[in-house]
Amino acid sequence: MINHLKIERKEVNTPTVSSLYFRWDRKVKPGQFVMVWVPGFGEVPMSISSIGDLKCITVKAYGDSTRKLIRLKEGDFIHLRGPYGRPFSEPEGDILLIGGGSGMASLRTLIGPRATGIIASRTSDELLFSEEFEKEKRIEVTEDGIRGLKGLVLMGLDQVNVEDYSCIYVCGPEKMLKAVYERIRGHKVRAEFSLERSMKCGIGICDSCSINGYQVCVDGPTFSIEELGEMTEFGTTKLLSSGRRVQI
Amino acid sequence: MVSLAVRVGGINLENPAILASGILDENGYTMKRVLEEGAGAVVTKSIGVDERNGYYPPVVVEGNSYLINAMGLPNPGIENYGEEIKIASNGRKPIIGSIFASGVDDFLRLGTSMEDFGVSAVELNLSCPHVRGFGSEVGSDPVLVRDIVKTLKGSLKIPVWSKLSPNVSSILDIAEAAVESDALVLINTVRAMAIDAETRMPVLSNAYGGMSGEAIKPVGLRCVYEVKKELNVDIIGVGGISNYTDALEYIMAGASSFQIGTAVIKSGRGVFKKITEDLEVYMNNNSIERLSQLVGVAIR
Ligand SMILES: Cc1cc2nc3c(=O)[nH]c(=O)nc-3n(C[C@H](O)[C@H](O)[C@H](O)COP(=O)(O)O)c2cc1C
Ligand code: FES
Repeated sequence: MINHLKIERKEVNTPTVSSLYFRWDRKVKPGQFVMVWVPGFGEVPMSISSIGDLKCITVKAYGDSTRKLIRLKEGDFIHLRGPYGRPFSEPEGDILLIGGGSGMASLRTLIGPRATGIIASRTSDELLFSEEFEKEKRIEVTEDGIRGLKGLVLMGLDQVNVEDYSCIYVCGPEKMLKAVYERIRGHKVRAEFSLERSMKCGIGICDSCSINGYQVCVDGPTFSIEELGEMTEFGTTKLLSSGRRVQI
Repeated sequence: MVSLAVRVGGINLENPAILASGILDENGYTMKRVLEEGAGAVVTKSIGVDERNGYYPPVVVEGNSYLINAMGLPNPGIENYGEEIKIASNGRKPIIGSIFASGVDDFLRLGTSMEDFGVSAVELNLSCPHVRGFGSEVGSDPVLVRDIVKTLKGSLKIPVWSKLSPNVSSILDIAEAAVESDALVLINTVRAMAIDAETRMPVLSNAYGGMSGEAIKPVGLRCVYEVKKELNVDIIGVGGISNYTDALEYIMAGASSFQIGTAVIKSGRGVFKKITEDLEVYMNNNSIERLSQLVGVAIR
C-alpha cells in the first residue's frame, strides 16, 4: 500500500541534508524505516526521524531519487510504504547515542533529557541534530576539527564511561559501527546497532539486504551487540545490487 | 511409520518443502539458514552468464493476496556465484542451481558450471516474464525448449528440471517439449502490473512484472493438473502455497513435491518447518505413510 502524504514543513539541516515533515496516522517506533517512492526516479529506504504528530524523513542527497526528494517544497507530496523493521528497544534511564554522518537521523527519535550524544561527521557543517541534545550532553567530533574534537568517533567515546549508560545506540557507516563494536564489546553495557545494506523490497523476500542469513529489513535494521557478535559478515563483506560479494 | 521423505526429479529430499528461486537465495548464508530452519532443499536465484544489477526499485508491489515483482534477474554472473553455493552447502541439504540464458550454448555453459559447483540438480528458468530475450520469451518456443532440454540432458550428469511459465496459450505444448526433463516445475509468476492512481504512473520501474502469492494458486493448480493428466513426468508445484492444505492441493493435482516463495513475507523463514509439521500431523490422522500415495489422486 502506497501512502500519499503532503509535506507540511521543510527544514534545511546541513548543506546536503534536509528534513521533510508530514502528517501520517501510523504508529512508528524509533529505528523503523519507510520505503520512499520518487515516481520516475526510484525508491529508497529512509529512517523515520520524528515520530510525534508530525512524522519526518531526513534526506541526504547522494543519488537521483534523493536529489529529487530534497528539492521538494512544502505542499508537495511524498509517496511511501511502511513502516518496516524491528525498532530499537525502549530506552530507559541514561542512554548514549552515537551517530556518524546521516546516521543520527535514525537515532533522533531517542534524543531526550537523559540522552548523551556523540555526533560525528567528516566536515563541521555536516554535524546533524547536534543542537537537539542538551548543551552539556553533546560531544561533537569532526575530521576537519573546525567544530568539536578533531578526529574519528572513537575520540568521542574516550570522553565517556560507557558503563554509565543503560544502553548505547549506534548508527552510521559500517566501518564506524565495527570500530565502536570493537571498543565497547567486553564492557558491561547493552548496545544496539542500526545496520545499512542495499535494500530493494523492504519486506524480507529479495535477499539483497541480508547479513549471515538475517534480513536487515525485517530481522533488523537494529541488532544487539550479541547478535552482531555471531555475524561473520559484519564489517567484512556485503553484496552489491547484482549480488556480487565485496569487501566492506 | 509416517515419513516426509520424497524422491522427485532424480533427487532425494528429507521433506518436500523447497525454497523457490529468487526468494532469499542471493546470499549463500541465507540459503544455509533457510535449510537449517527446515526447508528440504533450496533453489538458487536464477544465474546468468554476465553480472546484472536488475531493475532499479520499485521492484515489488504488495497487495492483500499477491505480490508483483520485477527484480529484473539481478545476479553476480555465474563466475561469482560458486562462492555462495559453497557457503550454502554447509546447510547439508540439496541445492538446486537455477539458470537463465537466451540460447542453448549459454544454458549448457551455465549448467556445466553449476554441476562443477556441486549442486544436486539444475533448474532451467524458461519462464521469467519480465526480461527481454530471456525466460518466457525462450520458454514459449517449443522447438527451442526441446533443444535446450535435450542438450543439457545429454551433457550433464546431474538431473535437469524445467521451470515453465503459465503465460502461454498451451502449457501442455511446452510441457511436452520439455518432457525429457527429470521434473517440470510449475509455475513461474503470472504477467501483471500495478498502476498508482494518485500519480498516474505504473508503480514498478519496469512497468510489467510477475504476480505471485495466494492469488495465483488456482492458476498453478490448473497447470499441474492439466500436465499430470496427460504426461508421465515428475512435477514440482509452486504458486501461492502458504499452508499445508495448499501443499496438499498441489500434491493431489499431481505434484510430487512443492516450492514456496511469497509466503515468507507473511510467515517468515519458519514457513517450511510449519508446513512440514502440519503435513506430518495430517498424514498421521489419515493413515498416509508416504506423500506419494496422494500424488494426482484428484485427477479425473
Ligand atoms: C521477488 C521474486 C523473485 C523471483 N525470482 C525468480 C527467479 O529468479 N527465477 C525463477 O525461476 N523464479 C523467480 N520467481 C518466481 C518464484 O520462484 C515462484 O515461481 C513464484 O513466485 C510463485 O510462487 P509463490 O507464489 O510461492 O511465490 C521470483 C518470485 C519473486 C516473488
Ligand atoms: S530488502 Fe529485500 S529482503 Fe530485505
